[in-house]
Amino acid sequence: MKQFVIIGNSAAGIAAIEAIRERDKESKIIVISDEDYATYCRCLISYYLSGEIKEGNLFYRPESFYKENNIELLLNKKVSRIDHKKNRIICEDKSILNFDALLIATGAHPKFPEIPGIKKQGVFGFRTIKDAKEIGGLLPITKAACVVGGGLVGLKAAYALKKRDIDVKVIIKSNQVLSQILDFEAASLVAKKLQEQAIDLIFGQDVTEVIGNGDIKAVKLDSGKALGCSLIIVGKGVSPNIDLIKETEIKFNQGIIANNLLQTNMPNIYTAGDVCESFDLTLGALSLNALWPIAVEQGRIAGANMAGANFGYEGSVAINSIEFFGLPVISLGRHKIKDKENGFSELKLEDTKAGVYKKLILKNNLLVGVILAGDIKSGGVFLRLIREKIEVSSIKDKLLQENFGFPDIIDLVKEKERLYV
Amino acid sequence: MKQLYYEVKKCLGCRSCEIACALAHSLSGELFKAVKEEVLSLPRKKVLSSKGRNYPVSCRHCKDAKCVDACIAAALNFNKENGTVSHDEARCVGCWMCVMVCPYGAIRPNITTRIPLRCDKCKDKGEPACVAACPTGAIILE
Repeated sequence: MKQFVIIGNSAAGIAAIEAIRERDKESKIIVISDEDYATYCRCLISYYLSGEIKEGNLFYRPESFYKENNIELLLNKKVSRIDHKKNRIICEDKSILNFDALLIATGAHPKFPEIPGIKKQGVFGFRTIKDAKEIGGLLPITKAACVVGGGLVGLKAAYALKKRDIDVKVIIKSNQVLSQILDFEAASLVAKKLQEQAIDLIFGQDVTEVIGNGDIKAVKLDSGKALGCSLIIVGKGVSPNIDLIKETEIKFNQGIIANNLLQTNMPNIYTAGDVCESFDLTLGALSLNALWPIAVEQGRIAGANMAGANFGYEGSVAINSIEFFGLPVISLGRHKIKDKENGFSELKLEDTKAGVYKKLILKNNLLVGVILAGDIKSGGVFLRLIREKIEVSSIKDKLLQENFGFPDIIDLVKEKERLYV
Repeated sequence: MKQLYYEVKKCLGCRSCEIACALAHSLSGELFKAVKEEVLSLPRKKVLSSKGRNYPVSCRHCKDAKCVDACIAAALNFNKENGTVSHDEARCVGCWMCVMVCPYGAIRPNITTRIPLRCDKCKDKGEPACVAACPTGAIILE
């Protein structure tokens, strides 16, 4: 009998538990979380804040999950350090836990800009149930709010606030929303939808100060202008939670570096999810892809390997799916080509009337990036072309057609078709 | 566990399966009433053509389903007993993650309902409606 320790109780941690238990019903599994809740759907907190879903629907697994899987769940516990030489972890409350195999799935935390006043009460990240509850608690006395950052988290927060009838201004440093996942054209479609719903987008500005004695009164912008608000949500990206390994020999860049088995450089210590820096298939290099489906996939492989399997992880592709006010958008892999980069080409389709915009980025007849806005059908087929590095020269004229789908790539995929005879 | 198979050589592309599917998932189950329903029932499978052949594209109820992994709302589950990926519509938030990862493009978004369109093998109705509707026997349940 072994002892498995999993630090982190979200997507990657839960997938790892399930993968271990598929193979090993006996060994002890201890799961540690610094939060106060059983596993929940982190990506849904905006729907919870908006009032579209109830707290009960946030939970990712039934209440019986931990008992049924024979898991010792330790909540409100923070790991301060890993002692890999002795195969043990040391928690902030001084407790010590030994492990045969360890999974570091500590996730990430919101980045806050270093500006005066940012630590004031009323400034929030937007990542946990606790954040959503605290923000929700303030809404009855909130008239105006500012969201700092025009990324996915910022826009989802703005959407939720608007649904709760709060005046929202989103302060965006670049000249477009979602600059990490969309090009300017697709971003403009999203921006238009948000603006139609009276979400105020302020481009080309950053915040320089949070103003207020005690309570927040306003935020100050680069331009010197101040915007009145009593609530601020910061969505300026996330940073992996790696404090617990900084003093160790476990290797990290921005996140903890994983090999193709999702091991760290210590063979019995694995990593998965938002904290994990793994091979990115479209960049051809290590990268952080802090996304729910990727965390699940990595957690499952890491868990299986902890329990003795030998599954390789091919790598991740940045994948994002969003919908605001009836406009669905999917972004896969690369979304922009830098001016200096050679060998790339683009295919575009723009149908303003139908509200559809599609862009494909190719390199040597391989698809490396896709943006689908307004029409996201067959999104997964595009993802497959990217992941499986399928040569698309024979179907280039088909890719942007309305009825493009799996049948068009059926002769190009490696798997043997059982469904169609 | 019975699964749906398609004999593409027999498929005429008549789309009877699409109509039967939409009807089977409508409130009334009758064509002339169904087209007037407030929320129009849309087919959960779609016949696409390539190189002169017709392929009914529909959820395959994969055992290691990418959509189940990707679902941020825990609305999808692979049900071992009946070999079906079941979809809890009450939990679904319409994020389209499933559409984004389905390797067969078999899940389509219904923007109006914010619920993806996906085959449920007509749940407990015995034979799926598409099987019964196919005039050439191109859809097989076995």
